[in-house]
Amino acid sequence: MRGDEFLEKLENVDPELVEKAARPKRRRRWLGAVAALLALAILGGVLLRPGGGALTTEAFAALAEAEYPESPPYPDMMDYVNPDGSMQDDEFNAAFDAWWEFYRAQRDMGEGFETALDSFCAKTLPQFLGGADGENAVYSPLNVYLALGMLAELTDGDSRAQVLALLGSGGIGELRETASALWNANYMDDGASASILASSLWLDNDVSFKQNTLDKLAEVYYASAYRGEMGSDEVNEALQAWLNEQTGGLLSEQADGVGLDADTILALATTVYFRAKWTSEFSSDKTEQGVFHAPGGDINCDFMHQSGQGYYYWGERFSAIERNLESGGAMRFILPDEGFSPDDLLADSEALSFIISGGSDWESKKFLIINQAIPKFDVVSDFDLRAGLQNLGVTDVFDGSVSDFSPMTDDTDGIFVSQAKHAARVAIDEEGVTAAAYTVMGAAGAGEPPADEVDFVLDRPFIFVITGSAGTPLFAGVVNVPA
Amino acid sequence: MEDAKIVALYLARDETALAHSAAKYGRALRSLGAKLISDEQSVEECENDTYFKAWNSIPPHEPRSYLFAFLAKIMRSTVLNLCKMRSAQRRSAVLTELSAEMEQCIPSPSDTECLIDGIVLGEAISRFLRTLTEEQRCVFLRRYWYFDSVAEISNKLGITESKTKSTLFRLRNSLRLYLEKEGYEL
Repeated sequence: MRGDEFLEKLENVDPELVEKAARPKRRRRWLGAVAALLALAILGGVLLRPGGGALTTEAFAALAEAEYPESPPYPDMMDYVNPDGSMQDDEFNAAFDAWWEFYRAQRDMGEGFETALDSFCAKTLPQFLGGADGENAVYSPLNVYLALGMLAELTDGDSRAQVLALLGSGGIGELRETASALWNANYMDDGASASILASSLWLDNDVSFKQNTLDKLAEVYYASAYRGEMGSDEVNEALQAWLNEQTGGLLSEQADGVGLDADTILALATTVYFRAKWTSEFSSDKTEQGVFHAPGGDINCDFMHQSGQGYYYWGERFSAIERNLESGGAMRFILPDEGFSPDDLLADSEALSFIISGGSDWESKKFLIINQAIPKFDVVSDFDLRAGLQNLGVTDVFDGSVSDFSPMTDDTDGIFVSQAKHAARVAIDEEGVTAAAYTVMGAAGAGEPPADEVDFVLDRPFIFVITGSAGTPLFAGVVNVPA
Repeated sequence: MEDAKIVALYLARDETALAHSAAKYGRALRSLGAKLISDEQSVEECENDTYFKAWNSIPPHEPRSYLFAFLAKIMRSTVLNLCKMRSAQRRSAVLTELSAEMEQCIPSPSDTECLIDGIVLGEAISRFLRTLTEEQRCVFLRRYWYFDSVAEISNKLGITESKTKSTLFRLRNSLRLYLEKEGYEL
């Protein structure tokens, strides 16, 4: 192909993008570039508990340390401007190319891993987000997937088989490939965006551990292992400090409640910290109070407003939009039709398929002007995964009489998982014009939207999903009470 | 008049649709044509062709929410075709420059005819563009879709010319790498 042909074929670029570029926005030089979206989740610890035993006091030591890939920093254009206003092109290009090469390599993880979480999400989203009973619920599928992957590494026999079945993985080798690809494709720490999946193991001094298993966890799951005296203040403080450090202190209330008692022989902690800006931020001048119809009664909260062209999706019982994030990921908002609840959508296979996979192959969609009204929210939830995992067929690891932790230690008598906490917090906000009045879309129920313009008003309980640049669901949640 | 209403006129086979289109978008379409063609008369002919082709393609198309992009696409293609038919001497210098720049986006440029479907390539490029920031996307599309000069882009976006140039340079390289990685043989 020649350049002129390529130029001609560019005409097939999505008209949405072309239309947007018709009236370019001038750069607002005062813009402070504040993080518009902040989200993180922690799995507060899968705690393994043996039958008992004496403990010795020894210093707290690192047994295996994970080495993270090092991203070249995302170059800031302003660092490459000469005093006369000209640009240090070569230097900038070199810095950018280094960053781009890293970014590309991290995402070049082979085929299929992006959809590896689909079946896992289809099973776990209804389990962990359903039945929120008027409360908010936030869950990180990727985080729990990786924590369970580590649990599969530590177990064998039926204990492992049950975990692998839930993860939808054909064997430990396949799991390692998928877990490693998911970790890498979702890793970004370049100064501009952050998406970090951190894992750690906390081992008791008194139990022998198999170093090769620890090394495998460091290699595949980037998990560091530490050893100390369980039940001691030092270990609890160190674990809490680790959780707080990995989650930027945003789950400190939840982390402070995490404590390991003296019977614990191993704790597994995984966290996801994710921060990215909207590609097109909300103007904070347009944010205004509105009424949100929560299950417990109407409440007032701040609604962010924005109108623009985009795809509007719908199904039998819902409508939805997606907003892009600068990290390359997106956030989906799924609004149940009047008369339906988030729980109804989680139990509906059509809606669940949209929740998990989003709109790229969805047929019921229309390119429209969408007047968005989205409540600002900061939702936290904290729950124990045990009952849910048992409902999903992972039972042996919770029962000391049948569990098999032989890959982890030879002191295997009566070890079981006594606690599996999961805490997650997702907060979104906007950024800056005078209020405009919006009307709620009058027509309820399924069906095609109006011809050219639609209001998308999240003023009743809804579902959201945040995906990373690889398209993997990082977080999903039900918002019943935004404020 | 709103785009959706103009499109409704096309659909109702009401010829005032053409006048409304010209009143709303004529100037922008002529300015697009003038980027590559210097004589006014030819630009106007292309513009009239554009309305005629739009009349014949609405329906089946119903570009209610992107009427300008729809008309501009027809104008762009009409202008490029006219350039192609003209002799080498009269060929636009701007077009030569743009083609040379585009060559940097092609994994292995050659004279052989490309077998890849334009729509498939358009989708791939759209996917690439969606990974960019709004500003980067705008710089790229202003240059290669709307044929703006570097100075025009810098002025429209409020950025320096050197930034526009370096952004374009990086985006061409990034697009080439993207197409290579996605396995397109162009």
